Amino acid sequence: MDPASQIDRVMDVAVKGDRIARVAPEIPAAQARKALDLGGLYVTPGLIDLHTHVYAGPHPGSLFPDSTALVTGATTVVDCGSSGWRTFEDFKARIIDRSKTRVLAFLNIVGWGMTKGEEAENNIADMDPEATSAKMKQYPDIIAGVKTAHFARPGYAAIKRAVEAGRLSGRQIMVDDRIYTNSERTTREKLLEVLRPGDLHTHTYNDRQLELLDRFTGKVQPFIREARERGVLFDLGHGAGSFLWPVATRAMQQGFPPDIISTDLHATSIMVPRSDMPNCISKLVNLGMQLREAIERSTLAPARVLRRFPELGTLGEGRVADIAVFRLETGVFAFKDAWGKRFMGTKRLECVLTVRNGEIVYDVDGLAFPAWSTAGDYEVIP
Amino acid sequence: MTLRRTIIAALAVFLAPSTGQEIYDLLLKNGHVIDPKSGRNDRFDVAIIGKKIAHIGQNLPATHARNAVDVSQYYVTPGLIDIHAHFDAQGAGLNLQPDHTALSNGVTTAVDAGSCGWKNFEAFKEKVIDRSKTRLLAFLNIAGAGAYGDVDELDPGAAARMVRRHPDILVGITAAHVEAGRREALNRAVKAAELSKTPLMVAYHPQSGSEYRELILKHLRPGDIQTHCYGLLLPLLDAGKKVLPHVWEARRRGILFDVGHGAGGFWFRVAVPAIQQEFLPDTISTDVNKESIMLPRADTMTTMSKFLNMGLTLEQVLERATVNPARAIRRPELGMLSEGAIADLAVLELRRGRFGFLDSGHGKLIGDKKLFCVLTLRNGEVVWDAEGLTQPEWKNASGPYDLFYSNFK
Repeated sequence: MDPASQIDRVMDVAVKGDRIARVAPEIPAAQARKALDLGGLYVTPGLIDLHTHVYAGPHPGSLFPDSTALVTGATTVVDCGSSGWRTFEDFKARIIDRSKTRVLAFLNIVGWGMTKGEEAENNIADMDPEATSAKMKQYPDIIAGVKTAHFARPGYAAIKRAVEAGRLSGRQIMVDDRIYTNSERTTREKLLEVLRPGDLHTHTYNDRQLELLDRFTGKVQPFIREARERGVLFDLGHGAGSFLWPVATRAMQQGFPPDIISTDLHATSIMVPRSDMPNCISKLVNLGMQLREAIERSTLAPARVLRRFPELGTLGEGRVADIAVFRLETGVFAFKDAWGKRFMGTKRLECVLTVRNGEIVYDVDGLAFPAWSTAGDYEVIP
Repeated sequence: MTLRRTIIAALAVFLAPSTGQEIYDLLLKNGHVIDPKSGRNDRFDVAIIGKKIAHIGQNLPATHARNAVDVSQYYVTPGLIDIHAHFDAQGAGLNLQPDHTALSNGVTTAVDAGSCGWKNFEAFKEKVIDRSKTRLLAFLNIAGAGAYGDVDELDPGAAARMVRRHPDILVGITAAHVEAGRREALNRAVKAAELSKTPLMVAYHPQSGSEYRELILKHLRPGDIQTHCYGLLLPLLDAGKKVLPHVWEARRRGILFDVGHGAGGFWFRVAVPAIQQEFLPDTISTDVNKESIMLPRADTMTTMSKFLNMGLTLEQVLERATVNPARAIRRPELGMLSEGAIADLAVLELRRGRFGFLDSGHGKLIGDKKLFCVLTLRNGEVVWDAEGLTQPEWKNASGPYDLFYSNFK
């Protein structure tokens, strides 16, 4: 299932070294050093999780990427603002350079990122568009945008400085922003006047962030649709507070899916709602989204935001072999929203195998390996 | 003064509810309870009040519970204990975030096996142990800066002093990662364990069979733990795959054999013949780290499932993940269910089907049973609830949903 190539049927995928060599029906197994039978499973491009927190250590809410992303089929994760220009080098040395997962970043407009607590995230003096943009230009292959989050003071200072860093660097920004009494911001103004086409608002189904629905009628607000028409993108960013059944259910009923499916996976959201990529995809599929569409919003769409398509987000021949394999289970399954409450669904997507850079890095059922009793005095079977 | 005390005492008696009037915060109804220490292996209800287990009994009234959950499809066990794991020691190369790793596997007590030594343990305690919901304990590495530091800095006195300073957390000494072929490291680790009167965990990879025989029969003391016991580097089996006589002898003298699966500590081609000869592990631990959680999938549920599929009963497996590890780290109050004890519990699902399991060398065992953790309680708090068992359907939920969404719920 590779939405970018319009493929949605039984095919073979051949990998050579770190590249996808061929995608075609009936590639002879005799030509392969290792051939896996994946009948009944879905093979997709490695998922791209556009919104995570993986600056483990200095940012207490962060997770390590490999043990949380690769095991769920995400081969690329984007850390959204855990680090800022002051802390990015440490993040890079500590995590990015040491992970098998491809770790990219949206740099926080706050110089210290999220490492110094709430007070520091409100410090406008530490929001430096020039320094932020300079760091972004230094690492254009890693830093794909600017993040602003958790700004709890009135006015648009944080968002506007992020936009300025975006303008200087030629990149988009992602906004996580709570509307509250006396915030001197409105969602309408934010989406229609402050953000630029291509900028993202995350936490789509948290209506203290976005006021997606009219409180009295439950209808998607007209200015939200207008913002989508002018090119503002809506990122799921599930997290521990931003996927609520009443909002998601109503929005999906009215044809307002998120443009990008992402997790906002961190130390809390991985526990209660378990907002990993297959979980987020499963939730939307149970709310009526086609699996193919969900995969598109988890591969092609984020790759475009990152400006890495067609290098990433597709199973195109010659592209890097980042591949995920899923089982779509049917049964009765409970899913939980950010407040932990249940929704019963009938489909669940489970990652069974992940290939990163051509290497099998996760294989929960051992599909790629022989029975121990036939393998002789093996030490490590490649 | 005396009168006042008497009045307070009388009031306390008057106000204290008798058992019949207690309100349970959580009632786990009708689960199959397996508690190897007490020998319970039957259907029971388990009632939680606050942080403690209030009652374990049959037909406890659901009407007395704020939240009663039907767990009749599942097994209810003491919170599991993993005595060999590796957690975040400030970005050390191999470590994991503890709460997600442990609690999602039903592990309520996890023991970091030597990521830190006496020089960096207190920083680790402050940054990781004190911030975790999981009960985190540790074996202190004999190397001053731990498994990832300078392996030549081996000070038994300083290590023992650190253990005595944190007796509630430091359960022993380990020489893991510093002992490869180096008897001196091992000798100093034994010394530190003697000084601190705690057990020693070794991952010793001997140069020769006779060297190993001498180690387990002479140098290690009863209660010391050999981890990676089904690893390739340990001479457990002879050429004909028979368990060596001195290994049996070591077991008789009280040396404990621990799984410590990891990315390099467990091979089916060692474990299967050993288990066929009834050389079972004393404790089932994971050596879970950033590497081993990926390909062999050495988390607790998967590691326990491997032993189920090699022929151990569920009770045997649970014994080796609850009461046995509690004894090994000399914390007998853990790894059991009893009224009045801290409510650390796991609720497990045993699924039937066709499952593949890999060892550290990527050899595969096909099995028909696999354990999944559906619910974990730590200190009475629901910390993992994969199926949302303790939660209502959102349309029936009150609270903030009503506040914000009453118009279109």
